[in-house]
Amino acid sequence: MLTYITRRLLQLPIILFGVTLLIFAMLMLLTPYERLGLYVPDRPERGDIEGIIDHYGLNDPIPVQYARWLLGDDYLGTKEVPEQEMRSRGVLRGDLGFSFRGHQPVASALMQYLPATLELTLWSAFPVLGIGIQLGVWSAVNHDKLQDHVLRVFSIIGWSFPTYVFGLLVLMIFYAKWDIFPAGRISEVFKRIIEDPLLYTQYTGMYSVDSLLNGRLDVFIDAIRHLVLPVITLSYLWWAQILRVTRSSMLEALRQDYVTTARAKGLPERVVINKHVKRNALIPVATIGGLVIIGLMSGVVITETVFNIRGLGYFFADSALNLDVISVLGFTLFYAVLVVVGNLAADILYAFLDPRVRYT
Amino acid sequence: MSDPPLMKVNNLTTRFFTEDGTVYAVNGVSYDLYQGQTLGIVGESGCGKSVHALSIMRLIPSPPGEIVDGEVHFAGRNLLALSESEMRQVRGGDIAMIFQDPMTSLNPVFTIGDQIAEALLQHTDLSKKAAMDRVAELLDLVGIPDAKQRLGAYPHEFSGGMRQRAMIAMGLSCDPQVLIADEPTTALDVTIQAQIIDLVRGLREKIGMSIIWITHDLGVVAGLAERVNVMYAGFIVEKADVNDLYGDPRHPYTLGLLKSLPRVDKGRVAGTRLTPIGGIPPDLVGLPQGCPFEPRCPYAISRCRFENPALKEIDPNHEIACWVDVREAVPQEVTA
Ligand SMILES: Nc1ncnc2c1ncn2[C@@H]1O[C@H](COP(=O)(O)OP(=O)(O)O)[C@@H](O)[C@H]1O
Ligand code: SF4
Ligand SMILES: [Mg+2]
Repeated sequence: MLTYITRRLLQLPIILFGVTLLIFAMLMLLTPYERLGLYVPDRPERGDIEGIIDHYGLNDPIPVQYARWLLGDDYLGTKEVPEQEMRSRGVLRGDLGFSFRGHQPVASALMQYLPATLELTLWSAFPVLGIGIQLGVWSAVNHDKLQDHVLRVFSIIGWSFPTYVFGLLVLMIFYAKWDIFPAGRISEVFKRIIEDPLLYTQYTGMYSVDSLLNGRLDVFIDAIRHLVLPVITLSYLWWAQILRVTRSSMLEALRQDYVTTARAKGLPERVVINKHVKRNALIPVATIGGLVIIGLMSGVVITETVFNIRGLGYFFADSALNLDVISVLGFTLFYAVLVVVGNLAADILYAFLDPRVRYT
Repeated sequence: MSDPPLMKVNNLTTRFFTEDGTVYAVNGVSYDLYQGQTLGIVGESGCGKSVHALSIMRLIPSPPGEIVDGEVHFAGRNLLALSESEMRQVRGGDIAMIFQDPMTSLNPVFTIGDQIAEALLQHTDLSKKAAMDRVAELLDLVGIPDAKQRLGAYPHEFSGGMRQRAMIAMGLSCDPQVLIADEPTTALDVTIQAQIIDLVRGLREKIGMSIIWITHDLGVVAGLAERVNVMYAGFIVEKADVNDLYGDPRHPYTLGLLKSLPRVDKGRVAGTRLTPIGGIPPDLVGLPQGCPFEPRCPYAISRCRFENPALKEIDPNHEIACWVDVREAVPQEVTA
């Protein structure tokens, strides 16, 4: 068990190294002139271009540029180290470059937009994992009965509905037509309260959490009202996914011989299902669980755009549409690390759940 | 055997109502099982042996399966009429069952000790600790070395033979009166198979329970059972004491099974070629009009095609379901 985890942890830096290589390669697909354009927003004089390229080492051998990108300017042989404020500290130390769309370094832009996305993701993930799995179990235990059929239809629709269509539909009905749930993150009235440091402290940047910490139930309710539609839009696909996987995994486990053995021992059906069947069926579901969270975090690009939520997805879409390559790559690197770490967590969880893995 | 039987199976009939039609898996099976007796149930694969055993335990998957008729009298009660919670007391308590494939019959994510203790905790008032001590005793009894140290082992850490020993320990844990063993050695290689049979023979003497031993291998039953039921297509076609069955087999199917058995003894010249029965058992979808063995039977007469023979006593304690007396008839080449 311990060796398994250690081995997986040792793989982590190697995988992350690969990730940085890939993202750096994307950057290198651009010519030095194009990359210059990323760093210098206003059009330089014709004659200056070569000089600037040379100055920033954009024509240096690729390994040198990679090392500089990774470790920062002062580490490796720029002919002239750039002026202090223009100096990069390197991706390894969290310097992902400057975002023109965000008007700040990419890293701090990501931190600024993260809470909204995290809030949306968490409010989606807990019900999906908590209730979705239970529904999948219920569906399988009532195989081919009415409950099962209803849940399967629900799941097939979620599975086949494109998120942006679904989001717009939901928005059209609940916002435009009935005006029950608003778009955005918070109403104008409460926005003023939130932004007043005397009245309100932003601990996490997640409105639903901060409002409770500040003891403002009214803000909390408003934040939740704003969350309902995006959460539904973002998570429907994953409800469908987790239902499908749990159900089929349960049905598979129910067919196994050890289930008959358990029944032959005289165990009540409740114990047979909740202990013997579920414990096996949830092993693959746990792996999917990690993917659900990653999938939800990726799904925010569409959802946040549709509902006008200033989160990471919004930031990504905005940067991409405005050809802010540095921001896009920074976002990509951030997500890639997230995926790698998420997968690692799922693998370790898997090893805890399945004794057969621990020894391999 | 003058005592009343311990278990009396009467007209047990189980069907599966599937999309492809009704599967007539068990068709009116009746027999008596006595205290301390070992009964062999023999027949090729797909003849309803497992379904018959699962029907006694009321573990038939439903849907599509259903016990449509019959009774199983045990300790003065009809098991098929018990409530589900009463039946749970019987399962693993009075009647234990072990299965063919020890690789898949144990739950891979729980320890051996936990899985055996589970039966004890369900049927007795033992504390968790006392149950574990008992499990160690049981593992020791079935010949697992260092039993105490192996309680925390997972099934994948055991060999096939050891797992089947663990399954037997599980079966014996609550001192059942009947142990139903459904092809417990089929998945094991020959030497391990012999060890397991030896083990069961020894345990039977020590414990004195009755055993229903299901197998497709007549050779296995010879050294173990006192009485044998031969099953074909969901019917019992021959019932006899073990010596009569081997010495004086009277049903063409039993004859066929014996002929396909590799053995060297006085009854047969060494080196005689093995002749397996041609063809395969029917798929049991739909009930045949005549004798179900007719398409493969070398003794078949025209009557066999239209009328299914019932079991009848031909000698004391020896019954067959056949129109023909194989001692007089001449076998024909079967062109199936
Ligand atoms: N769950 C089931 N659904 C449909 N048919 C089944 C099911 N289980 C067993 N059967 C059928 O019942 C018949 C008897 O099977 P079984 O008792 O397992 O045979 P045996 O144990 O003698 O090899 C076979 O034709 C098999 O296909
Ligand atoms: S009844 Fe006829 S077909 Fe059936 S076993 Fe006897 S001889 Fe063969
Ligand atoms: Mg079987």
